[in-house]
Amino acid sequence: MIHLSNVEKVYRTDRIETVALSNINVRVEQGEFISIMGPSGSGKSTLLNVIGLLDVPTGGEVTLNGRLITSYGDRSLARVRNEEIGFIFQTFHLINDLSVVDNVEIPLLYRKMSGAERRKRALKALEQVGLSARVHHFPSQLSGGQQQRVAIARAIVGGPRILLADEPTGNLDSQMGDEVMSILKALNSLEQTTVVMVTHDQRQAEKTARIVRLFDGRQVN
Amino acid sequence: MMRHIWKLVWNRKRANALIVIEILASFLVLYAVTLVGVYFAHNYRQPLGFSYDRVWLVEIDWQRESIELQPELEEEKEAAMMRQLLTAVKEFPEVESAAAMSVVPYSNSTYSSGFTWKGRQVEFMFNRGTTDTAQVLDMHLTAGRWFTEADAAGSSFRPVVINRRLARELFGTENPLGQVVKEEQDKVERRVIGVLEDFRKDGEFSGLQSYMFEHATLGKSKGGQPNNFVLRVRPGVTAAFEEKLTGKLRSMAPTWGFEVKPIEQMRESTLLWQLIPLTIFGVIVGFLLIMVSLGLLGVLWQNVTQRTKEIGLRRALGATAGEVYAQIVSELLVVSTFGLSLGILAVIQFPLLKVVDFISPTVYFTSLVISLGIVYGLTVLCGLYPGWLATRVQPSEALHYE
Ligand SMILES: Nc1ncnc2c1ncn2[C@@H]1O[C@H](COP(=O)(O)OP(=O)(O)O)[C@@H](O)[C@H]1O
Ligand SMILES: [Mg+2]
Repeated sequence: MIHLSNVEKVYRTDRIETVALSNINVRVEQGEFISIMGPSGSGKSTLLNVIGLLDVPTGGEVTLNGRLITSYGDRSLARVRNEEIGFIFQTFHLINDLSVVDNVEIPLLYRKMSGAERRKRALKALEQVGLSARVHHFPSQLSGGQQQRVAIARAIVGGPRILLADEPTGNLDSQMGDEVMSILKALNSLEQTTVVMVTHDQRQAEKTARIVRLFDGRQVN
Repeated sequence: MMRHIWKLVWNRKRANALIVIEILASFLVLYAVTLVGVYFAHNYRQPLGFSYDRVWLVEIDWQRESIELQPELEEEKEAAMMRQLLTAVKEFPEVESAAAMSVVPYSNSTYSSGFTWKGRQVEFMFNRGTTDTAQVLDMHLTAGRWFTEADAAGSSFRPVVINRRLARELFGTENPLGQVVKEEQDKVERRVIGVLEDFRKDGEFSGLQSYMFEHATLGKSKGGQPNNFVLRVRPGVTAAFEEKLTGKLRSMAPTWGFEVKPIEQMRESTLLWQLIPLTIFGVIVGFLLIMVSLGLLGVLWQNVTQRTKEIGLRRALGATAGEVYAQIVSELLVVSTFGLSLGILAVIQFPLLKVVDFISPTVYFTSLVISLGIVYGLTVLCGLYPGWLATRVQPSEALHYE
């Protein structure tokens, strides 16, 4: 599905050069459940962004379904992000001026679909994450765990083939973390959704089939 | 999508209220400025009604005694001299045609009059001219005729020539020719014999006014003699003729004063005096406009850059760059339409209440369209540019933006 070979990412600010990733080779295949582990600052989020097509590496190649992503135009890249990828951000990134259900509907706005259909799917996704009682609340009226679940609902509402989650349990207590994990596991086993998850929780990581370990931007095994 | 935009606009009503106010203020300033600009441009494009090319002016000062024992006798003598002088002027080979008139183009003097007409007050500018005045100034008549010698032979009515504006004001769509205009105190009625395209004495930038001409006969007259000659010289006549003409006139009437100058020269100084305040106004307004558009730009800019994160998020969730533009621009259009609607409600009061009645509805409407266009254009530009910047960075970077 998504293959990274010799990927390198260097951030250049005025004088400082940060090598966030170097020589990364990862193959993400359909139906896999992968976790990315490593200490803070080791490049986990950067790697996830590259896999999720939210960022382009400064070196190496990324292919999606056998095609280099640099060959995709803006429209087709947007379509892939919209239809094939669901992204759960570490800091949720909910729009505070929109209600829970309106936030969840956003990915569907960029598809040809009736308003009623959008609403139906958004409510279903919220039900999946157990938030049916909060659909008309605003993000600021929710707890961190509830916000995390809104973010998950938004990531799954479009039925993506691959779900990318950046520390989805990091802000949650262990019980709620387990709940989120079981949602992800269910999606993976029941709907063959590929899941790539960043975590620094060894216990959660062990529940996944494969662990990619990073240290200082490099892969370690 | 439109519903989504409405929700965003509504839920952000506090931030948007600021934009609405800024847009309203900018629009009002812009409208006032455009109105003045369009007003002058509109005036400028209206026909002048005469031509000043090769037209010279002779200003005559009769040097009257302060106490006149027999004013009527005095006037008769003056009139006789004026006739002689005019004949002498016409005899010069340099002169194509000459006439006398009371108020010459681009002069400082004005002569206004008015009367009650069908229950309302009608104001107009007034002037007197001799038989050749229309020919000298190349005045365009749209109907009827100018005065002839036959008119001078004391008829039962006083012939008048009015401009189109006054004709419309007095008679509407009726044919003005032959219509009787009567002032209450008038014993003799005035009858319209001709309609002028216009006669805009103060020149190209002046406002449009109603105008009436009466026949000056250089004889016994009730309203006083005109004390100016206008003459059209032949092509190629130089300033040297000025001396020659003045010399001749002085020799005929040694006690009188004469000043000869081309009307072109008066036109230049008149326009200069009209343009000086306009230029100063223009400079002030220019600064004001810059301030206002910078303010508007700032508010809109801030609104969009604050949303870099949101733009990044939408890109990450699958919006194309085009969809992001469309959304931001639509939102700004919705918000500015709010502000502009308030603005239109405010400025529409001017033509409705007829506060400033010398400005025509066309001018009001044109200014409205122009200023609406500018504000909308500015809004779209403000939305497009930061939107473009935001979509140029990778979604991950935009999401990091603080
Ligand atoms: N936009 C950026 N600009 C500059 N440096 C960055 C940027 N994003 C991340 N980095 C740097 O890259 C390294 C990896 O960051 P990140 O991928 O966020 O690590 P992790 O998610 O594992 O904590 C860090 O040193 C971080 O400071
Ligand atoms: Mg991280």
